[in-house]
Amino acid sequence: MSRPEIRQWQPEPAPPPDLAALLGRVARGDHRAFELVYAELSGPVYGVVRQVLRDPAQSEEVAQEVLLEIWRSASRYDPDRGSPAAWALTIAHRRAVDRVRAENACMRREQKAAEPDPAQGDVAETVAATLEHQRVRRCMDGLTGLQRESIKLAYYSGYSYPEVAQLLGVALGTVKTRIRDGLIRMRDCMGVTW
Amino acid sequence: MPYELHVLTGSYVLDAVSDAERKEFERHLQHCPTCDAEVRGLRETAARLARTCAMTPPARMEQQVLAATYRTRQLLPLPADRPHRIPRIPRIPRRVAVLAAAAGVAVAAGLGITQLSAQHQLDQARATAIARVVTAPDARIDTAPTSAGGSVTVVTSAALHESVVSASGMASLPSGRVYQVWVMSPSGARSAGLIHGSSLLASAVRPGDRIGITVEPAGGTAQPTTTPVAVVPV
Repeated sequence: MSRPEIRQWQPEPAPPPDLAALLGRVARGDHRAFELVYAELSGPVYGVVRQVLRDPAQSEEVAQEVLLEIWRSASRYDPDRGSPAAWALTIAHRRAVDRVRAENACMRREQKAAEPDPAQGDVAETVAATLEHQRVRRCMDGLTGLQRESIKLAYYSGYSYPEVAQLLGVALGTVKTRIRDGLIRMRDCMGVTW
Repeated sequence: MPYELHVLTGSYVLDAVSDAERKEFERHLQHCPTCDAEVRGLRETAARLARTCAMTPPARMEQQVLAATYRTRQLLPLPADRPHRIPRIPRIPRRVAVLAAAAGVAVAAGLGITQLSAQHQLDQARATAIARVVTAPDARIDTAPTSAGGSVTVVTSAALHESVVSASGMASLPSGRVYQVWVMSPSGARSAGLIHGSSLLASAVRPGDRIGITVEPAGGTAQPTTTPVAVVPV
C-alpha cells in the first residue's frame, strides 16, 4: 500500500468557494456553478477513485460517473448532514468500491499489485501537499499499527473488513473495533467538528 | 444501541461492509441518533483521508463531464417531510460552543447533551432548558465585572425569554450569606434563585430587563436588601 509522497510545500491556498451554496445553485440547473464545483471536487474525487481502483482508464470512467452524479443529485445534498466534500467523496468512494467488488476484483487487484504503480513518481499528476495533508499524516502516525493498517486497507484499498481481518490475520470483531477506534482518534486529532 | 451494530460505524463509513450489512446498518441508523451523529463525524474524517490522495484528473474529463450535464436530467429535491427522516441531533455551531464555554456550560457536541460544569448534579430538565438557551439561534452573550471580584456572564435568548446566568471568580461569602440572582424590570425585582457556584436559569426575561446579583442572608430573600454586586442589561 503506498500513497503519493509529499513532494513540495505550497503556501496556504486561497479560501475555497462556498461549496454548499454552489451546490444549491447546481440543484437549480446552474452550469456555471457546476464548473466551480468541478474545479473544487474533481481532484479529490478522481484521487480517491484512483487510489482504490488503481487503473487510470477505469478511474477516469468512475470519476466521471461520480461527478455527473453530483450534478444529477445536487438537490439531495443536505447541509445539515455533512460538508459538501464529505457528501461527494462518500459517493466517490462507494462507487469505486462497488466497481471493485462487482468485478471480482480480488484477482485483478493482486495482479495489479505486482505491477509497478503508475502513479508513483508522477510528480505532475500529484496534487501538491498542503498543510492539511501533513496533519492527516501526523494524526495517522498517532494510531496504533493495527488501527492504521485496518483503515488504510479498508479506505485506500477498498477491502471489506472481513478481507482486512484475513489480510492482517486478526479476528473480525477486532478489525471492526480498530477501524472505529482509529477513525474516532483521527476525528479528534484533526478536530473534525461534525 | 446494540454494541455489535454500533461498532460498525467505522466500517460502514469506509464502505468496508457487505451490501447486506450496509442495508441493515442503514435501517439501524434510522432509529439510532447517536450512531447517526457518529457516522457523520467519521464521514467528515474519511473525507479528509480522501483529500490527501487528490490527483488532477486528465484534462479531457472536464469537457466530457460538462457536456454530459447538458443531457442529464437532475433529480428533484426530496419532499421536506420525508417519511423516514432520521431524527436529527443538531450540530452545535462554533459560536454556540463559545457561548456555552463563556457561560460555564459544557456542551457535549456529539450527543447534544448539556451538562453544567457544576459540583452538584442538576436535574435533566433544567440541564435541557439551559442547553436550549445556549444553543438558541438568537443567543447573545453579555459579561460584566462584579464588585465582589470576578465576572458574571449572561447568555440570553430573546425568543425563549430565558437567560443563563453564571458567575466566576466572585469572593466567597461568610457562612450565612449567599449570592442571589434577580430579574430586574421597571416594575421591580424578582428572584431567579441562588448561585451555588454554577449556572442558573432565569425565565420570563423581557427585553429591557436587567440581571442583578446581590448578597443576601442564607436561603435568600423575597426582595433585594443590598446594593447589587453586578447588574447586566439583557
